[in-house]
Amino acid sequence: MSFPHLHVASAYSTHFGVSMPEALAAQAAADGATFLAITDRDGLYGAVKHVRACVAEGIAAGLGADLEVHDDDDLASLGRVVVLAHGGTAGRGYAALCRAVSSAHETTVRVPGRAPSIPRSRLAQLAGLSSLTVLLGPASDVGMAIERRDNTAARAHLADWLRLMPEQSVALEIVCHLAQPGTPGSVAPATRMLALAEHAQLPAVLSNAVRYGTPGEAVTADLADAARHLTPLAQLEHLQATRLQAMHLQVNGQAWLKPAAAMRQVARMVVDAGQHSDGALALLLRDTQDLADRCALDPATDIGLGRPRMPEAGVIGIIGDPLTELWARARHGVDDRYTRVGASAVHAAHERLAHEMATVESLGFASYFLTVARVADIVRGMGIRIQARGSGVGSVLNYALHTSSVEPISNGLLWERFLSPERQTLPDIDLDVESARRHDIYRTIFDTFGGDRVSLMSMTNAYRGRGAVRDAGLALGLPDTQVSTIAKQMWRFNARDFRAALADKPELADLAAEVAGSAQLGQLVDLTARLDRLPRHISVHPCGVILSDASLLDRTPVQASGMGLPMSQFDKHDMDPMGLIKLDILGVRMQSAMAHALEEHHRLTGEQIDLDRVPLDDPATYELIRSTRTLGIFQLESPGQMELVGKLQPEVFNDLTVEISLFRPGPMQNNMPLTYLRARHGEVAPDYIHPRFESILRETKGVVIFHEQVMRLFDELTGCGLGYADVLRRHLGKPAQLPVIEAYVREHAALRGFVAGTVDRIWTVLAGFGSFGFAKAHGAAFALPTYQSAWLKTHHPAPFLAGLLTHDPGMWPKDLLVAEARVLGVPVLGLDVQKSGLDYRVEAVGETGQGIRMPLLELSGSSDAERARIVRHQPFSSLQDFRDRVHPRGRTFEALARVGALDSFIGHDRTRRHELLAHIQSLRGTAVVINDDQLAFEVPLPVLDYSGARFTAVTSLQLRGRTQSDLELLDTGLAVSGHRMRKYYPLFADLGVTPASELATLPGGTEVLLAGVRRATNTPPMRGGRRVVFVSLDDGTGPVSNVVFFHDAQERIGGGIFQTDLMLVRGRTRRSGARGVSVTGEDMWDLVAVAKERAKARARAAKAARAAALLDQEATEQEAAAQGAAVQGATGDGVPGTVVAGRDSRADPATATGPHPRRQVASGTAAFDLWSTRSA
Amino acid sequence: MPQIIDTAVQVELSADGDPLAFVWDRFEHTVIGQPQAVFTRTRWWEDDGTPTRIDTELWRVDAARGTEEQHRYDLRHDADGTWVLSLDWG
Repeated sequence: MSFPHLHVASAYSTHFGVSMPEALAAQAAADGATFLAITDRDGLYGAVKHVRACVAEGIAAGLGADLEVHDDDDLASLGRVVVLAHGGTAGRGYAALCRAVSSAHETTVRVPGRAPSIPRSRLAQLAGLSSLTVLLGPASDVGMAIERRDNTAARAHLADWLRLMPEQSVALEIVCHLAQPGTPGSVAPATRMLALAEHAQLPAVLSNAVRYGTPGEAVTADLADAARHLTPLAQLEHLQATRLQAMHLQVNGQAWLKPAAAMRQVARMVVDAGQHSDGALALLLRDTQDLADRCALDPATDIGLGRPRMPEAGVIGIIGDPLTELWARARHGVDDRYTRVGASAVHAAHERLAHEMATVESLGFASYFLTVARVADIVRGMGIRIQARGSGVGSVLNYALHTSSVEPISNGLLWERFLSPERQTLPDIDLDVESARRHDIYRTIFDTFGGDRVSLMSMTNAYRGRGAVRDAGLALGLPDTQVSTIAKQMWRFNARDFRAALADKPELADLAAEVAGSAQLGQLVDLTARLDRLPRHISVHPCGVILSDASLLDRTPVQASGMGLPMSQFDKHDMDPMGLIKLDILGVRMQSAMAHALEEHHRLTGEQIDLDRVPLDDPATYELIRSTRTLGIFQLESPGQMELVGKLQPEVFNDLTVEISLFRPGPMQNNMPLTYLRARHGEVAPDYIHPRFESILRETKGVVIFHEQVMRLFDELTGCGLGYADVLRRHLGKPAQLPVIEAYVREHAALRGFVAGTVDRIWTVLAGFGSFGFAKAHGAAFALPTYQSAWLKTHHPAPFLAGLLTHDPGMWPKDLLVAEARVLGVPVLGLDVQKSGLDYRVEAVGETGQGIRMPLLELSGSSDAERARIVRHQPFSSLQDFRDRVHPRGRTFEALARVGALDSFIGHDRTRRHELLAHIQSLRGTAVVINDDQLAFEVPLPVLDYSGARFTAVTSLQLRGRTQSDLELLDTGLAVSGHRMRKYYPLFADLGVTPASELATLPGGTEVLLAGVRRATNTPPMRGGRRVVFVSLDDGTGPVSNVVFFHDAQERIGGGIFQTDLMLVRGRTRRSGARGVSVTGEDMWDLVAVAKERAKARARAAKAARAAALLDQEATEQEAAAQGAAVQGATGDGVPGTVVAGRDSRADPATATGPHPRRQVASGTAAFDLWSTRSA
Repeated sequence: MPQIIDTAVQVELSADGDPLAFVWDRFEHTVIGQPQAVFTRTRWWEDDGTPTRIDTELWRVDAARGTEEQHRYDLRHDADGTWVLSLDWG
């Protein structure tokens, strides 16, 4: 005889349940159960996973939710109840449950600060038509009264429920955890509850209020309680002892998914403990079974599992049959897209379209394509840049519908990678849009399709190492600092392998010793492993939008997301089973940056550029990319990509696709870039293994990089067709499947005339490919914005950099972008209250030039309101006018003066900033508030009064000794007037530092000195296991020089490698390919310290020279001349590399350990005049 | 006054896991009526190691030796599966 559990929290009841739905269903089935319900707290978070698990286990699934209920009138809580959906109701019960959960979450919006809770009248309304059963158990108002032995109150509360709820919608829930007599969960309250049911003639059902599958998981539930209450277990227990019931520990470890026999035991104990009629035991078990029977949901008819629901035709703007409409639009689109390419292209496209449409028709997905195209139209209609990404780019249909803008046929993209009869899951099209407009798009989609058809998708965030160790440490009451120290070491291994990692990883040796010596730390390690991967909380998915028909809210519960729009409680794994169409609408900053560039170009010149129609073969663009000056270019700007671009030397669009696809962890770890590059540059002949593979592998010189190539290879080997080839490709990632695929390939390849040797070799490649690689469709979709951004950088650098600076899409700090602008000949103009706007704007400079004006936003500490007022009232006639209209706060006012944003009021005479600051600081009282439509009082500029001899002495400590760059860095973090390294240029010239821009001219193995400000540090994992540190240095001459520090250099340098920001490095150049160069760092100094030592030494030399001159007035002419030469050399005017100041100073690293490149000394001439021209 | 026994005993269980009888001091004691189980939680975080259970299992049974007068006993069921007769309540 089996027992149906009706009240079970899964791990998706975060910080409460601790077992995954799949484990619970498997355990129930193993015990012979025919039914299992999941009733997560406040939602259906685990519902879809539960139903699928039950289908897999062959048992009936029930769904419910553990919800708080409140009284409509006074909002008083009526405790928690279990709401169960009735099955066999054609979805009515499940819909009512979804609506009940959504209603509970609505309360959190209506009554801020309130936890999810459903008004009882709403629950009663939804329970009508026999849709729901409400279980009143120990956590309900009735159960709590029973617990405190207040039978009168219990009966009164129950009467309220029965009066308000529909008939037969209420049952009492008997829970007994066999706790000590006198505590909650003991038999006494359970038996009293049973008596109440008998008295009220209501059905009573037995549940175990389950929180975990097995008794062993009770410990994990303790951790969940500690985490939920943010209180250590010992303290929770103490609170419990003092009867502060708001927070409590579980009474014991009995809330597990007990087998039928154990549940019957409990039932007998409960019945035996009270005065019940003879048949009470059988009745309790029968009523429990009866309710389970009513709550068994049919996955198809009740929940709609596996049935896709597209938005209704009317909503996507069509009348009539979607397929006919799709055909019409697609044919028209093909003509529109391909006619200018040529007749044969049109023909090929129509043929491919027919092939694709056959699949669309057989799968019934016409509405899907129309829906996605509709969304793309909406986005474009808003004037927002959009770009499809993912396998959908491989479809001519998507290209014809303007959903995608990459042409698939010429790029060798396959439809079958996206959709085929063999692949019946709902297809996935990702849309990249301007990040700054993403929320606008969401709102417009909600408005267009209607809030009853659209919802955002959620995502489940699971425990990972650090979070797990923190919560485990909290539960044990370990000190925060100790837990933090351990948490910082939790990386690059799974928390559930914590013990094994302690044993294996040398860097954890200290921690391992500590753990071995402490029982508490030993517990911490075990508990951390228990928490790993458990769901932790849910949040809105960064890009998923669910589109459906008007039944959406009957099929998914929703709750408010952070941005206010409703969010489904289902995550991406639930979409396909639930037949929900999910669109990934991802905000991409580069798209915003490019849109900004186009807008600025249009604003300045009136010319509209259609970036999507720019030809993809512009020589100047490829020349820029090949030069490795790829800073700011989408996907190509990282130091690693710069190096790869230098080696690969892209010439056509497809090279960009290859480049992007090669620069991925899988190919990199398998040395694929090197193999490809050697063949590309003719160092070795491409190895195609067999002539029949050549056409497939020619574009990548015999290296298998793309999914599409793997599919074609399978097809060529076996003749299985591309659709099935994609199925085989997917299975390559599963080691267990490999022998099956291999046998299949060998059998069919032999029949198709391949000899065993060929099959051996190609199979090694395919099996090694595993799940690596990249869909070419994906790479091509990335390559488009890569090309577009490179094109903008080549032809419209000023607007492009204004876009980059405004939307900050890349990995580099803005100050480097400013430096790059300067190198490109685009001046960045300083803050000016007369001209600066809210974002980076392009301004005409001189006759034909363009510059970029710093926006007010960059002034740190200024407020939104201040900035808005400045922009609204520009320009200002005087300082007085500025103060009256903007009424800035004192610190903002002073900061504006310091950086020079108020220079227009002092005739752009920088020397008068002292006066300006003094004046501003002397201002007292409030500014006169002037209405927008009123002219300002034209009081003479007070600064003028500060003229005369007395005021020339005014100096401000805030300005003294600081360069304009210093001031800018201080208040905006960006040095726009000049590069921050510029003040070191004389020193660089003196030391013989090689400018970054000149590195590429040097042969490999040249010893060089490099200097600059650190812009990036990378420590990528290496195959050898030893850490390598990449540092990108910016000296203001070129993009960056990339220095690699290997293990020995790291040991020599120590912590400075991560801590020094301005550095001087000695190393050797390493050539890689035609334009690629990097430097292997050998030693490193702190540039600031070197400069100080140098200045001191110079002062000492000058002093010595003066003293010598004074002492020996009658020195010979010859001697005097010699001294003069020394002084001149020491002040830096001599020939670089020949002068070593302070020869006696062993403390100066610049002399003691000698950062002088021998080459410089040997040549005896200034190798680079960049320093002198630039420092002039 | 309860008498502390604290002796391992053999326990015969029903199909559902209820104690039916136990052998103590060579004599079989037959359980009478429905025995009650009580699970009491531990402060496991104060002990060494991570426990497999967070509570102790105790059964309070009424049992009699042959036709003698019945006594009330506490039977403890340890995590390792052994049964211990801990108390004789008289």
